[in-house]
Amino acid sequence: MMKATVANPSGSIASKARLDLSPYFFILPFVIFCLVLLLYPVAYSLALSFRQATVETFVSGDMPFNGFAQYQAALADPIFWRALVNTILFAFFSILFQFTIGFLLALLFQANFPLKNFCLALLLIPWVSPVLTAANIFKGLFNEAGPINRVFHIAGLGPFPWLADPVYAFPSTIVANIWIGFPFNFILLYAGMRSIPEDIYEAAKIDGATFWKRVTHITFPMLQPVSVAVLMLGTIYTVKVFDLVWIMTGGGPANGTHLLSTYAYQVGFSVLNFGQAAAIATLMVLLVLVLNLLQLFLKR
Amino acid sequence: MTPAELFGINQTIWPRHFAVENWSRAVERLWPHVRNSLLVSAVASVGTLLITAPAAYGLVWKKPRGRHLLSSFMLITQMLPAIVFVIPLFIVFSKINLVNTLSGLILADMTFTVPFAVIMLSAYMKELPYELVEAAMVDGAGPLRAFVMVVLPISLPGLVTVGIFSFLIPWGDLIFALSLITESGLQPLTLELYKAMGQYGIDWAFLLPGSVLTAIPAVLFVILASRFIVAGVTRGAIK
Repeated sequence: MMKATVANPSGSIASKARLDLSPYFFILPFVIFCLVLLLYPVAYSLALSFRQATVETFVSGDMPFNGFAQYQAALADPIFWRALVNTILFAFFSILFQFTIGFLLALLFQANFPLKNFCLALLLIPWVSPVLTAANIFKGLFNEAGPINRVFHIAGLGPFPWLADPVYAFPSTIVANIWIGFPFNFILLYAGMRSIPEDIYEAAKIDGATFWKRVTHITFPMLQPVSVAVLMLGTIYTVKVFDLVWIMTGGGPANGTHLLSTYAYQVGFSVLNFGQAAAIATLMVLLVLVLNLLQLFLKR
Repeated sequence: MTPAELFGINQTIWPRHFAVENWSRAVERLWPHVRNSLLVSAVASVGTLLITAPAAYGLVWKKPRGRHLLSSFMLITQMLPAIVFVIPLFIVFSKINLVNTLSGLILADMTFTVPFAVIMLSAYMKELPYELVEAAMVDGAGPLRAFVMVVLPISLPGLVTVGIFSFLIPWGDLIFALSLITESGLQPLTLELYKAMGQYGIDWAFLLPGSVLTAIPAVLFVILASRFIVAGVTRGAIK
């Protein structure tokens, strides 16, 4: 900044003012975008959650204020509670397995082996591909007459109603989500492990520490900041999951696989009760905040 | 593989014949929607870069007032579920006739890409040598000139990675397309495939090849740029 002033020898107050404004000139389009397309919708959604906004009010154009009625209606709906419990279980089991698989793979990838970079690229595909691709493939795999039941049939078991019965359908969606999400855990943990200095491991090896000792006494503690970041991001992403479940089950059968996201979408766009959907959306945001604070608290 | 082979009585673990006609039929049916998806994703990606590249430069190196507030806001938007945006955008867009337009879909998709892109680009630019920009300014370049001639070229790898991600996010989007687009001529690829699971049962011979074809840009990206992804993602997520 100082040098820039030197480069502008006029040195007048006007030129100084112009220079001070330049950062705002660079961020102006971004700030406008934030206000119009991010902040405004968020505020709108929050406001909507306190208003009656259904098909009728949508047509007539006014959306009367009705306090916490939308929240009360949502909390009185048993499907909401089912969806809330499902969201927490979905997040817990998805993250547990994604993290474990990602961690083990990251350990494996610390060693060198042929085609390592190719395998690394291959592992990224589930994560960068559209969710729809994975969702449809899993829908096919879990079909009553699909390949998974075929394998069980050979073992003399089944057929299992993988997607036709909520008891099976819910874990099936978790399996699909684990497949989509483990690469993200893997990459971050892989990069985190690579940044641990090699000589610490060498020193431990000389002191006679076994492989498992080295993992638990060096990798675990040194990877902790990365692990916390991975778990928090994992929580944020998993609570947001929508496409996968909407495509695989649509929240059914018998509303048994609804997450808060799919439940809110159904209330909004199938029942056309936008106010209540906005209230559920606000409760979802609170859930993400609570889960993340909880994780921070547990890490202490 | 034929539908009968997929789910029939005499099923095999490994397909016996590969039905090429399923694939060609899927390509034929999807082609108009591929055009929509390409258009939406490309414009969203370019638009995202146009907004976020100067913004990241301004935020990281020019240190304007309120930048911490903006950064926190970006992190918060990352936490918000899509439904928080979908409902207001649907209501507002239907009032200003942006429902059932590709421009509306592009703007909606950018609510995903812009915060993400600013976070990743800011993290990227923090590690670049600011002395180069200062040197250019000493040589008499104005802020805009220094940005175009120095900042953009040295940020190119980061811009490419973020640009590709900002392409892939709209490409795979379902929730905005599902809510904002009802006209079949405007449907992107994902929506056409979603609609293939209609009330008349699932057309597997179209759905499965179509779904796999939808992943092509992502697969290409991974093959061409896996090194950049690993670097870019870890930088954006952890730092």
